[in-house]
Amino acid sequence: MEITSNELKAALARIAEHAGENREFLCQADAQLGDGDLGITVAEGFSACAKLDLSDDVGRAFFEMARTFQQVSSSSFGTLVATGLMAAAKALKDRTEFGPDEIAGLLAQARDAMLARGKSSLGEKTVLDGLDAQVHALEAERSGALMETAVTAARDTVEKFTQRPNQAGRARIFAEKSVGLPDPGQLALVVITEGLR
Amino acid sequence: MKKILNDPQNYVDEMLDGLVAAHPEIYAKPAHRIITRAGEKTKGKVGIVTGGGSGHLPVFTGYVGTGLLDGCAIGNVFASPSADQMAETIRAVDAGAGVLCLYGNYGGDVMNFDMAAEMVSFEDDIRTASHAVSDDVASAPRGEMEKRRGVAGMIYAFKIAGAAAERMADLDEVARLARKASGNVVSMGMAMTPCIIPQLGKASSVIGDDEMEMGMGIHGEPGTWRGPIKPADDILDEMFDTLQADRPLGKGDRVSVLVNSLGATPHEELYILYRRLAVRLSEIGVDVVMPLVGRYATSMEMTGASLSILRLDDELEDLLAAPANCAFWRV
Repeated sequence: MEITSNELKAALARIAEHAGENREFLCQADAQLGDGDLGITVAEGFSACAKLDLSDDVGRAFFEMARTFQQVSSSSFGTLVATGLMAAAKALKDRTEFGPDEIAGLLAQARDAMLARGKSSLGEKTVLDGLDAQVHALEAERSGALMETAVTAARDTVEKFTQRPNQAGRARIFAEKSVGLPDPGQLALVVITEGLR
Repeated sequence: MKKILNDPQNYVDEMLDGLVAAHPEIYAKPAHRIITRAGEKTKGKVGIVTGGGSGHLPVFTGYVGTGLLDGCAIGNVFASPSADQMAETIRAVDAGAGVLCLYGNYGGDVMNFDMAAEMVSFEDDIRTASHAVSDDVASAPRGEMEKRRGVAGMIYAFKIAGAAAERMADLDEVARLARKASGNVVSMGMAMTPCIIPQLGKASSVIGDDEMEMGMGIHGEPGTWRGPIKPADDILDEMFDTLQADRPLGKGDRVSVLVNSLGATPHEELYILYRRLAVRLSEIGVDVVMPLVGRYATSMEMTGASLSILRLDDELEDLLAAPANCAFWRV
């Protein structure tokens, strides 16, 4: 089934609801290593996006989401999400639909744009490791249970990195303390992807 | 906390309201937390936009004015404004010739300005150029310029780029001159008491009564050492020697210098520092043009000072001397 602006709108509503339910959970995870506002950024960002009257042009629709996310939060996580959405906006400009088999490619472009903007690398225990795992999992599974595949990849990443130290962003300052704690950004990706189902 | 304020939540917005009320001929506030020049835009002039957290007046907002900047996106105290605000500021000042984003090198500001540039390119087809000033030699070694923070020296980049834009230079030329000025300026600061973020209500770090910290950043970032307070001449010597080691000056060089208060340190003490600086510069045969002594880039009520040195050539000196006017700096 092709994805149009209608499907995006429905997906945003589901993510917003699930992110709202996990607001405290993400804030508490973030408070261990940062300023504890991650749950607010994610919940309010998607809640604002879900209220948008999206354009039929899906590129334009992703741009509207990027802009809205920015208006809600100027935190670096908010800017990173907006950067990923903006990468999709540029890739899909002037189109009214895209196919499920394009999702892996779009996520890869988002991952690369976010790595460039955050001036970070893979393996530093950030949301980008989760996104990277999703890209690889979805490349192997172009149709079928895409959502389950993406959720599993995001969850596995949290598991895989929990015992490692954070090497990027503000959590880097707490590198030692971060060993044994799940990365809040990677958890946020789990919440967002769970909401998509 | 001893601060003159109403509600800490309104600190930034009430400051901006007062700034515009006091100087309506210079500043306008077209939207929430966006300051532009008052009056009409000059068609075909390159716009220059800056932005950053509040708490540093006259940086950043104060330097909007003729021969200087065109607009500023304003964040909370020590917090970056959003990319959306920056994009809005770029749109507000664009006069058809593109916009230079010129600001201090801080992670959040860099990310948000890059994002803003992408947004105005996608939606409005506005051409932008971007430069983050990184003049604080205490924050990282010369080999790692991308990690150096932007401090008081960035006002020289504002002045020189602003003068070039006022003369109707195109975007590439204004950006080139901003980068040249930025590449020619180095700064070093020291602090004796920290500052208080209004919404926190207490200092983010503690410096002992008899202590100073060399190299402290303008948000209280850790410096190179903390220890007993030294005499003014020793403080100046250490700052000057550090800058000399980073970017040596020699006989016949022409420079502008800025002896800057971080907020609480009075002009008297800045001139005590300047006295020693004048001796050091004359010893090596360096000529000083347009010395600046005062509050040009602050950290609210922080006690301390910084020294910035801009190496000049004919091109930079000409632009530095060009007319400029804002509430805090008139040339």
